Amino acid sequence: MQTGTKISGIAHVALIGWLLFGGSFTSRPLPAQVTDVALISAEEYAAMTTARPAPEAAETPESTAVPEPSMAPAPEVELTNDAPPEQAAPEQALDPEPAPVPDPTPEPPAPDAEVRDTPPVMEQQQDQIVALPDPVSPRPVPRPIDRVAPTPVAPPPPDATPDQVAQPEVTADEGAETPQEAQEETAPEEAADQIVPETAEPPRSAPAKSPRPPSRRPTKPEAVAEKEPTAPAETPTAPAETPVETPLQTDNTADAIDDVLAEALADAPAAPAAPSGPPLSAGEREALRVAVSACWNVGSLSSDALATTVVVGVKLARDGRPDAGSIRLLSHSGGTAGSAQDAFGAARRAIIRCGAPGFNLPVEKYDQWRDIEMTFNPERMRIK
Amino acid sequence: MTRFLVSLLLGATLLAAPVAAQDGPLRIEITEGVIEPLPFAVPDFVPDNPAAAQAAKDLARVVAADLTGTGLFREIPASAHIGSVSDFNAPVQYADWKAVNAQALITGAVSVSGQNLTVRFRVYDVFSGAELGSGLQFAGTVDGWRRMAHKVADQVYSRITGEGGYFDSRVVFVSETGPKNQRRKRLAIMDYDGANIKYLTDSAELVLAPRFSPTGDRVLYTSYESDFPRIYVLDVDAVERRALQTAEGTMSFSPRFSPDGRTVAFSLERGGNTDIYTLDIASGQQTRLTSTPAIETAPSYSPDGTQMVFESDRSGAPQLYIMPASGGEAKRISFGQGRYGTPVWSPRGDLIAFTKQNKGRFHIGVMRTDGSEERLLTASFLDEGPTWAPNGRVIMFARETQGADGRSTLYSVDITGRNLKQIRTPEGASDPSWSPLQN
Repeated sequence: MQTGTKISGIAHVALIGWLLFGGSFTSRPLPAQVTDVALISAEEYAAMTTARPAPEAAETPESTAVPEPSMAPAPEVELTNDAPPEQAAPEQALDPEPAPVPDPTPEPPAPDAEVRDTPPVMEQQQDQIVALPDPVSPRPVPRPIDRVAPTPVAPPPPDATPDQVAQPEVTADEGAETPQEAQEETAPEEAADQIVPETAEPPRSAPAKSPRPPSRRPTKPEAVAEKEPTAPAETPTAPAETPVETPLQTDNTADAIDDVLAEALADAPAAPAAPSGPPLSAGEREALRVAVSACWNVGSLSSDALATTVVVGVKLARDGRPDAGSIRLLSHSGGTAGSAQDAFGAARRAIIRCGAPGFNLPVEKYDQWRDIEMTFNPERMRIK
Repeated sequence: MTRFLVSLLLGATLLAAPVAAQDGPLRIEITEGVIEPLPFAVPDFVPDNPAAAQAAKDLARVVAADLTGTGLFREIPASAHIGSVSDFNAPVQYADWKAVNAQALITGAVSVSGQNLTVRFRVYDVFSGAELGSGLQFAGTVDGWRRMAHKVADQVYSRITGEGGYFDSRVVFVSETGPKNQRRKRLAIMDYDGANIKYLTDSAELVLAPRFSPTGDRVLYTSYESDFPRIYVLDVDAVERRALQTAEGTMSFSPRFSPDGRTVAFSLERGGNTDIYTLDIASGQQTRLTSTPAIETAPSYSPDGTQMVFESDRSGAPQLYIMPASGGEAKRISFGQGRYGTPVWSPRGDLIAFTKQNKGRFHIGVMRTDGSEERLLTASFLDEGPTWAPNGRVIMFARETQGADGRSTLYSVDITGRNLKQIRTPEGASDPSWSPLQN
């Protein structure tokens, strides 16, 4: 007998045996907990959903009829709802089958609820929106979001061709005296295919430009207005001369500010000689400090003078040479008047000696170093 | 109303705007300078008459030497001058002196009439183009021309540095001759710079530790004339001396005048114990200030006379203590390693100079009166006996070289430790005492 036949016979015998006596090996089913579930009717479910609507229901096309909030700074709040409404809520409402998920907050179902095929209109949602017309503060202003179009994009009319210039359609009129060429109707695109903001310039929460550095010379506001009518104010003293960017200046108060400021600036004397141009770099300042230090000889000063810090003012010529007559003692600390004079003498000698060939300072920054206040602090040189 | 309020507001804004916008002058702070001698020029003084020609030259040289000797000034040599002063009252050509980098200029004029000598001088700040102070005139004798030069130098020093000078002063010291084992000592007095030495005693007896009186007219010193150390007071001008009344059979030494010159504080050894006493010169009354079994010696008054610093080994090794001038509880002020001795209170009252022996070397140092900020100024085989210049900026002391033929000489040093220099004396010298400025 062939081996394959044997195997086949054994397998068939085993199969027949299992079919005959397999019931003896049936395992006992595991104990299962059975709980009663409450059935809910479609009316009850509709009542539940009516009493507690999903928040997305307010953004259905019907909810756009909600009156605008009375907040003046937020006139375009309703435009933010142009996004397509969430479809989850309608789908859930259209489902006639009750949701298997139990509601965590049991509410008594409305007994007389009526099942409708259309999503219910949530009047209560309208009430909730209207109930918030008076915020504590009008700020911050809601920022309008970018959008594709105010209305769902619809295909353009078939007889209008998108163009930059709108022109009517001209058709041939057989009765006309002057023949006209047939012209295709064109119109600008009602919506762009790119996301562009609804407003031309959205309001910015940060200033567009930083204020003018304080060291710069104030510029005449008229010149600024003539050169850059749309530029924001660069000088803190003439903010109203620049084009008005905030709506608050469109009232009478803004006009008054403009007038008074213009008068005041017109009558104001010339600005003081404030340093202009770029400030000295750290290296340039250090070079000046080292140059003066090299001539500040404290070896002949008394102990009292070495305990006196003097502040000395000096004017420099454009070639970097100090004006000896301008060297003056501005203040002193830590000593007597006599010791201050001695310390001032040493400081003056230092300025004159090392400044005789002219301090090496950049001429283009002359306004920055024309007047210098030097503090001579001999603390590190003091004899203890 | 709105317009008025806006006007008011903007008016205030415009007033404040320049202040806010004005960045002010460039401000820098100088904290590092240089310590170097200040260059000065002293052209020969102008002789008002032919008899004053030599004195005019000599006076200028002494003034220059005084200033240069401080280490704070450097003279521009005459060979570098491109300007000259032929008329004391003529305007100064500052450019000429600025060109040679002279920061200070001293001009003078001298006239001699018989034995009388008159000197006038002016000091100029060359770089500011102004005179420092006003002109001054001294009158004296021809023989005293060096003192007049010192007085001029004192004025110049004071006007430039802001503190008093010390050139018109003298030093009394012990002049020494011979080898160490047969050394002969005698009192001598000289100008602060070593000139005009005059001997006050002969070398027949051993003398120690002379100390000037506050007025500079008397000197206290210790002598072994009677084989026992005793304290004598010597009149400098008359060169007359007398012994202070102390108990018989006791050793008294290390005397020092009180600031008022009426009292002498000294050490007295009795029965093997040395304590500090005071003696009223007029009445001869003695007062014992310390009463410990330790050795207390080297008393030195504070300038105001209320306190006294002295040396005591009550803690086992010689240290410095401060107590009230009338005696009482002493407070130790030296806590460093080594042995401290011979304390001397500064004329300015801020520092105490001392001798310190540590690790086989001697030092002259200074510390504050509370013992803080101790600073050693010198170091050698043997430095001892510090004494203060009248302005409290310079210390003179004795330095002895090593060996049997070692010689003691006088040195001076600035309290910063700079400008250490030897004072030239014809013989060996020790135990210096600096006088106050002379009148």
